[in-house]
Amino acid sequence: MPLNLTTATVAVGDQAPVLTHTLSRTDLVRYAGASGDYNPMHHDEPKAVAARQPSVFGHGMLSMGIVGTALTHYVGVGALQTFSVRFARQTWPGEELSTEITVTAIDGNVATLEVKLRNGDGEEKVVGQATALLGAA
Amino acid sequence: MADFPDHSGALAALVGQSSGPIELSPDPVNTAMIRHWVEAMGDTNPVYTDHDAAVAAGYPGIVAPATMLQAWIMRGLKHTLDLEAARAAGNAPKGDANSQMMALFDEEGRTSVVATNCDQEYFRPLVLGDRLLVKSSIESISDPKQTGLGHGRFATSLMEFFAVPNDAVTKDLTNEQLAERGALVGTMRFRILKFRPGTGAVAPKAKPPRPRPAITQDNAFYFEGTLAGELRIQRCTDCGALRHPPLPACGKCASLNWDYVVSEGRGELLSMVVNHFPQVPAFDYPLPIGLIALDEGTRIVANLAGEPGDWTIGDRVVAEIVRFDDELALPVFHHETKEA
Repeated sequence: MPLNLTTATVAVGDQAPVLTHTLSRTDLVRYAGASGDYNPMHHDEPKAVAARQPSVFGHGMLSMGIVGTALTHYVGVGALQTFSVRFARQTWPGEELSTEITVTAIDGNVATLEVKLRNGDGEEKVVGQATALLGAA
Repeated sequence: MADFPDHSGALAALVGQSSGPIELSPDPVNTAMIRHWVEAMGDTNPVYTDHDAAVAAGYPGIVAPATMLQAWIMRGLKHTLDLEAARAAGNAPKGDANSQMMALFDEEGRTSVVATNCDQEYFRPLVLGDRLLVKSSIESISDPKQTGLGHGRFATSLMEFFAVPNDAVTKDLTNEQLAERGALVGTMRFRILKFRPGTGAVAPKAKPPRPRPAITQDNAFYFEGTLAGELRIQRCTDCGALRHPPLPACGKCASLNWDYVVSEGRGELLSMVVNHFPQVPAFDYPLPIGLIALDEGTRIVANLAGEPGDWTIGDRVVAEIVRFDDELALPVFHHETKEA
């Protein structure tokens, strides 16, 4: 299985390239179709407003997916072993979401990474942790 | 706080139980759904869409994005709509541990839900033609806890994903038999908080002040009056007609001479609207607004107290002068009680 990183090329403190994505209502519709999650809070504005939300909002699993995209770009799809997130805040259409991924520990051939997704104001949307396999040096 | 039952015992009995029978994904891992997914995510990694690129990267062929794990077993909109229709017809399928757990939470007053965590493990990338099965169970249910959102319980469900080659799926094999032959390819733990709405520990954000009226020579007496606890209504000193809102000239005789009377604030509800949209944070919603015929003989538009459903055209009303802040007081109309 291809491993993008090796024990020789990665060090604690390294950061993955930042991935930035401006969330649109169209993204929410596409994600609903792709994931099969048709909760109306994510695509039906009148229902979301009736539920006292300012507008439709992003699926938590879409936030996780965006971070997952940046993670797998960095470590390689087959290298990702675990990926855990806490959904800290809702995401809103129009927000510019940016990933922040830092290597925090290396134990043998496994790297631990801290992951975050923030909006343009720095608000944390999801925070979590992942582990990835590293190739031999 | 309302009295809710404590279902700790019944909930504890559900921990470890399977949420329902093992389910088979409707479709094998396929390029069409992968493309929808990566486009929604803005993921341009070619290993998800281009066979040659995937092989060049060291994979046997196109692989599916790791976080797409659960999407393969989602049953989609039709299933949800069928379930809703069955519920509406009173034929709700019941009995699986997950719906029992949700019903117990609801009975405890925990009717609001929010997803809090998702943990996934991946044992190998999914490839085209993998057919997934999922075995779901309730892994844990917490004791009641006071959280920022409200008084609630956390519940974690565990999903174990097995894969078999699509051509291994035949009518002769049950999902359980298929899962036994399959390889465990991933797990997902999904944690939710079910909580009582309105019991959050976090104080709501301070409301911004109400919008300021534009004070002019003509209307200053009115806003000074409300700040003094009076409902002042402009009166033409030539013909005696009352008018509101304040204006420089009398609509009846065109006189520019006026003073004011202090209204008793009693009258009848002539008409009303409910402001749903746009919502301004300074106000509480739903926001009923009434047109009131004052007993003294003119009309006034003002907020109505309570909920829109409390009001019927023709209701007798009385004004309360509400002081919103140091600079602003306005009449809000209530139902007139009989004591006066």
